[in-house]
Amino acid sequence: MAIVKMKKMYVFGLHKERDRILSALQKLGAVEIADLKEENIDVGINNEKLPEQVGHELSELELKLGRLKFAIDFLKPYGRELNPLIHGRPRVSMRKLQDLLNREGEIFELVDSLSGVDQKLSRLKTEESRIKNQIELIKPWERLDVPVEELGSTGKVEVRAVAVPKKNFKPFMDKAVEKDLPVEIMPVGEGREDSLLLMIYHNSAKSDIQELFKEFSVNTEEFSGFSGTPAQIIDQFQERLKVIEAERQEVKAEISGLADRLLDLEALYDYWFLEKQKKENFLKMVGTDKVFLMKAWVPEPSVGAVKEAVTSTTGAVHVVFAEPSEEDDIPVALSNPRLVQPFEIITELYSLPDPRGIDPNVFMAPFYFVFFGMMVSDAGYGLVLSLLTGLALWKLKLKGMGKKLAELLFLGGISTFVWGMIFGSWFGDLIKVKPLWLNPLDNPLAVLFLSFAFGLIQIYTGIILNGYRNIRNGKIADALMDQGLWLVLLTGLVMMAFPNFAGIAKSVALAGAVGLVLTQGRSQKGIIKKFTSGLLSLYNVTGYLSDVLSYSRLLALGLATGVIAMVINTMARMLGVNILGYIAMLLVMIGGHFFNIAVNALGAYVHSSRLQYIEFFGKFYDGGGRSFDPLRIRTKYVDLEDA
Amino acid sequence: MEVTLGQVLALLGAAMAVFLPGIGSAKGVGLVGEAAAGVVTEDPGKFSQTLILQALPGTQGIYGLLTGFVVMQRIGILGGNLLPLSTYQGLLVFAACLPIAIVGLLSAIAQARAAAAGVGIVAKRPEELAKGITYAAMVETYAVLALLASILMLFGLKLA
Repeated sequence: MAIVKMKKMYVFGLHKERDRILSALQKLGAVEIADLKEENIDVGINNEKLPEQVGHELSELELKLGRLKFAIDFLKPYGRELNPLIHGRPRVSMRKLQDLLNREGEIFELVDSLSGVDQKLSRLKTEESRIKNQIELIKPWERLDVPVEELGSTGKVEVRAVAVPKKNFKPFMDKAVEKDLPVEIMPVGEGREDSLLLMIYHNSAKSDIQELFKEFSVNTEEFSGFSGTPAQIIDQFQERLKVIEAERQEVKAEISGLADRLLDLEALYDYWFLEKQKKENFLKMVGTDKVFLMKAWVPEPSVGAVKEAVTSTTGAVHVVFAEPSEEDDIPVALSNPRLVQPFEIITELYSLPDPRGIDPNVFMAPFYFVFFGMMVSDAGYGLVLSLLTGLALWKLKLKGMGKKLAELLFLGGISTFVWGMIFGSWFGDLIKVKPLWLNPLDNPLAVLFLSFAFGLIQIYTGIILNGYRNIRNGKIADALMDQGLWLVLLTGLVMMAFPNFAGIAKSVALAGAVGLVLTQGRSQKGIIKKFTSGLLSLYNVTGYLSDVLSYSRLLALGLATGVIAMVINTMARMLGVNILGYIAMLLVMIGGHFFNIAVNALGAYVHSSRLQYIEFFGKFYDGGGRSFDPLRIRTKYVDLEDA
Repeated sequence: MEVTLGQVLALLGAAMAVFLPGIGSAKGVGLVGEAAAGVVTEDPGKFSQTLILQALPGTQGIYGLLTGFVVMQRIGILGGNLLPLSTYQGLLVFAACLPIAIVGLLSAIAQARAAAAGVGIVAKRPEELAKGITYAAMVETYAVLALLASILMLFGLKLA
């Protein structure tokens, strides 16, 4: 049994020592604290103030974390951090951390100054975009060589810069000429939609001109607030932009100088992050003014260590261990041999086992291993897959899911390699090697029967596991009648396929069938109902049949890999006619085979998972377990270490 | 060289085995891609997860190409020596191509629907990706079975 047995732990202690006790447990990382609030335990006087006080502390922590997070995100682009995938996460010793905590005030000053810098940067950015907009507006007037403050009325004469919509330009000019007004019009430039003009006219023509303006929707440009010619104004703006850019560079240099403080901020963030995780558990406890009660889950092997950790913290504490009861929501932790661990990911992605059920990983792993390899079944591909994932495992600091997945593919690669040798496939037909057994293209039926045989073995295993589960739950009769009789019937049916056994096969199958008809209706009332539902249960034979046929995908996907590899090789060889052709041939081969590996590894992962989920787990597996999630040192940026 | 009706029928079978599932896969991969793009606008980090789902309905096209290739190999078109097939032989090859041609086309689209719904799972609960993949893989079973039927038929035919 590979589901770790869990013990229930109750701890009574003093509030003033609560924090230290939890710190010790957090360091140990083997205890999941359960919520006692839902259990309505009456401790006499409830401490109403506790949740409020803890909530207050938590929101203060949140605030602190938020500020640190801002500073970290702000500095991150400027710092040069080593890639954690290659170099691992930075390590921070406890002594360094203590030092940081002592200098916390100074560090938060840094955070504040960073937010000041951030504001400055955004101010510069706003000004920059405002100036750029204005340059856009004035740019078309660049050739107007009159200082803008001189535009307007000089007493007798008015000087105006105007914008005429392009489509109105010609009619406007024609009309002005036609009216013969005392006006001088000089084109200055072209805007996006307007023609820009400088107009000089005598006061006496003012009302006529204004009428013209109205008729052709002409706008007068005031340039209010500016002085100098438009070209000079633009120059001034450009100057200002340069200053802004220089200021920005200065600020950025200042930030870059601070970038080596990033690690300090991250270490501090992680410290407070751990505090927050710890404090959140306070809300799950109940207590009086002075005393708290805590419930927690402890894996049985860790019981001694946990007791030691708690009692060595303080003497004023009482620890009780108990067996979980029927109603308890027990978390699930798995413990499997090293070789089986990568396969746990397949089960985890489906659903963790029920805490009172069976851990399927040990039984599932060999099947998954064999099926994955059979579906890809190419020695060359297996080598590539194992080499790549092996390299990743060796060189990269992988963790958690990523690590398990790489390990799974590494093992899958080995299986693929073995199957490739059995079927004599090395990058398809690229390298001709005699198969250890046969080439599936020559005799697909033999491989099809092998696939069915694997299917039968797995289905039998599933039925037997279900029987075992029934026996373990004390339902021995059910195990014999449900699983036992089905095994008899199926064995009889399978034996019929072999001519040597044909005689016995019939009687075995018949015995099984009769047994099933007699027993499967036992929960029904009345003899007729018992008999009919017994008879109907034989219909389940079709279910087993389709389960077995489903394993034909082992052959089909294996064939697919081999034939696609052949297609790639054939196409590549067609190219090999001259030097350039040989280069193209090489490229097609490398690209094609990598594509084939990727597509088929995905297919093999998907389809061997499916065989486990539907055909295998369907027979016996109870999912729905909740993962054991202990209070532990779980940091975001750095690894905190002792000493 | 005289072209026989049998040769035409065989080649027609190969062509159908390639283009029908090809159409299905193209449509399917496109359909999932549209759904995936919507999720990635919100959260670009989900690219690789949705890409896996998008790849799933693509296999039918590959199965079709594979079947077409087996036909080409069997009737000798790859080596340049097209076998002088009789009309009945051509019809046999044509019939062998039908399972993957038709099932490939339809299953790719059905699988794409399941996979696009799986993209919805990734949007809300990325940790449940495996379940979305499994739903789509349930559909793929029938394409695999059709491929198997087509290939076994083709290998079983005596053409020379």
